Amino acid sequence: MPAMPGATLSRWTPAYFAAAVLFLLLAEALMVAGFGYPATGLRSPETLALVHCVTLGWLSLLMLGALFQFVPVLVAGPIHSNELPLPTLVLILLGLGTLVAGFLQLAGRLPFIPATFLATTVLLSGGFGLALWNLGRTLYAARPLNLPAQFVTIGLASVAATVSFGIIFTLGFGGYARTLPLANLQAHGLPLHIIAGLAGWLTFTAIGVSHRLLAMFMLSPELDGPTTRWTLRLGCAALAIVIGAGAVVASAGHDPGLVLLVAGLTGLGCLALYARDAVQLYRKRLRPLIELNSRMAGVALGHLAGATVLLIVLVASGLLARHAGALVFLVCFGWLSGLGLAMLYKIVAFVTWLECYGPVLGKTPTPRVQDLVVEPRAARWFWLYFAAVDAATLALLAGMPLVFRAAAFAMCAATAGIAFELARTRRLVNVGSELRLPAGSRPPRLLSTFVPS
Amino acid sequence: MTGFVELDVRPILRSGGEPFTQIMQAVQGLAPGQGLRLFATFKPAPLLSLMGSRGFTHEARELAGGDWQVDFTPAVSPPAPAAKAAGAAPAGSEDWPAPLRELDNRQLDPPEPMVRTLAALEVLAPGQVLAALLCREPVFLFQELQKRGHSWRGGFEPDGTTYRVLIRAGTPPPGAAA
Repeated sequence: MPAMPGATLSRWTPAYFAAAVLFLLLAEALMVAGFGYPATGLRSPETLALVHCVTLGWLSLLMLGALFQFVPVLVAGPIHSNELPLPTLVLILLGLGTLVAGFLQLAGRLPFIPATFLATTVLLSGGFGLALWNLGRTLYAARPLNLPAQFVTIGLASVAATVSFGIIFTLGFGGYARTLPLANLQAHGLPLHIIAGLAGWLTFTAIGVSHRLLAMFMLSPELDGPTTRWTLRLGCAALAIVIGAGAVVASAGHDPGLVLLVAGLTGLGCLALYARDAVQLYRKRLRPLIELNSRMAGVALGHLAGATVLLIVLVASGLLARHAGALVFLVCFGWLSGLGLAMLYKIVAFVTWLECYGPVLGKTPTPRVQDLVVEPRAARWFWLYFAAVDAATLALLAGMPLVFRAAAFAMCAATAGIAFELARTRRLVNVGSELRLPAGSRPPRLLSTFVPS
Repeated sequence: MTGFVELDVRPILRSGGEPFTQIMQAVQGLAPGQGLRLFATFKPAPLLSLMGSRGFTHEARELAGGDWQVDFTPAVSPPAPAAKAAGAAPAGSEDWPAPLRELDNRQLDPPEPMVRTLAALEVLAPGQVLAALLCREPVFLFQELQKRGHSWRGGFEPDGTTYRVLIRAGTPPPGAAA
């Protein structure tokens, strides 16, 4: 049978979202308990365990789950495989489990087994390899790619680099890969791993996805003008400098500081152009009143701007080394997690609505997508979340660990509130009973989507 | 003698509602040879031509108080259904009739364009065509059209921002959700 045109629903995306939100809650609970930075050092094994719960468990699973649904929409073609995402998820979860176990071993909290890190290497490269294969084949089949898909492609290349750097470090922790260039990379390459992950993989992909999603949900004109093309080029150049030149310099045994400065200036140009595009998206929208997801995405974009200003101030004042933790925290929670939660709120409602009511549209009365959510209730949790993130960032900058933990508690409570709203949306609890399940519609399952074969 | 199923949509109309889906459900539920007696607050002119295209003749008369009663009676032989395979039809492969309706869905929030298009398709007879203007390629709509046995042709207009899709109603595949 020839491939169906258009996009299908992604079968396992709800499972990715559920796992991701659980890891976010776990990470926030660990911060409340005083686990990792700032109670222990920025490079302590406890902090590394915590950071990977956030970046791998929460942000990467969220992004992958979203991409399995969103890349087919971007390229108006079917996903290469709707089944591979499940083994992919299992491999990444097992890999993350062994990685965290390995860090706890380094911290002396578990007995040391060197093979743990070897297992991490196999599991995570397998998981991300499958994800890249699946999304890469989907994109490859849809060439020539539109601009948002090109952003996603660069993001995927960056995650390959991030995982490669990570594997080199992991092998080092386990006592493997001690040859000179690799040992040099292990000593000097940490900023490359962090920037490839947070800027290349997560931020650059989020830029591409947000271009399309914001245009779609605010009825703004699609962006494909010179500003957007230069955002892509400058971002590409900045990432190529960090990943390519940075790796060469670091593996030769030098500190890549100068490379990072050049890449940073290029990256600032990219972010400035993106800011201009984002303002245009909000200004030129045809909808005067926008929904909660677009409002909260705006707040997250504000946090990206805030993080950029903080970066410039810290570099200019020579305080970057001292406050790098606060900066990474603001990028992870104010920008990436804020945007992620905002988009989740819409995507869960939209996908659930399409899955449940798509087959009976036009034949029988159906609820609107907005009937699946109760925005005023969720809005309170979102505002609490962002306020708590700001308070936690200030507490880190001011060196007040107890205030940080209190703010982390508020973040955890707000996330739990948003997660509860997402589950209610998925279970159609907010829809009036007379419209909830008309004949011919199907009740959605929590962790997977029904996809007719 | 033809029996009639009675449907009174006046309460829905008076409360500001849209009785379209109820009417179509009633039409779908008719037994062979059965007619529909509709009560409305006005003469439903667009419905008359749509029902005509589905093979119904009608007799409309005004009731006391300005309401209308319309009796739809099935014609002896309904229009022959187009037995074509569903899916994206190559342009120019055959001539399609001119679209009966042109929907401009460019200013609607997603997923309203899809809801409106599918609702409009429900009243077409097999072989009839409708056109819709959209502000992007309707990737989720295609799946639903395929499942329902409709065929379509689409592409961006020369302005590069408007996507125009022509959809020809097909016969629903056996086992499709009613």
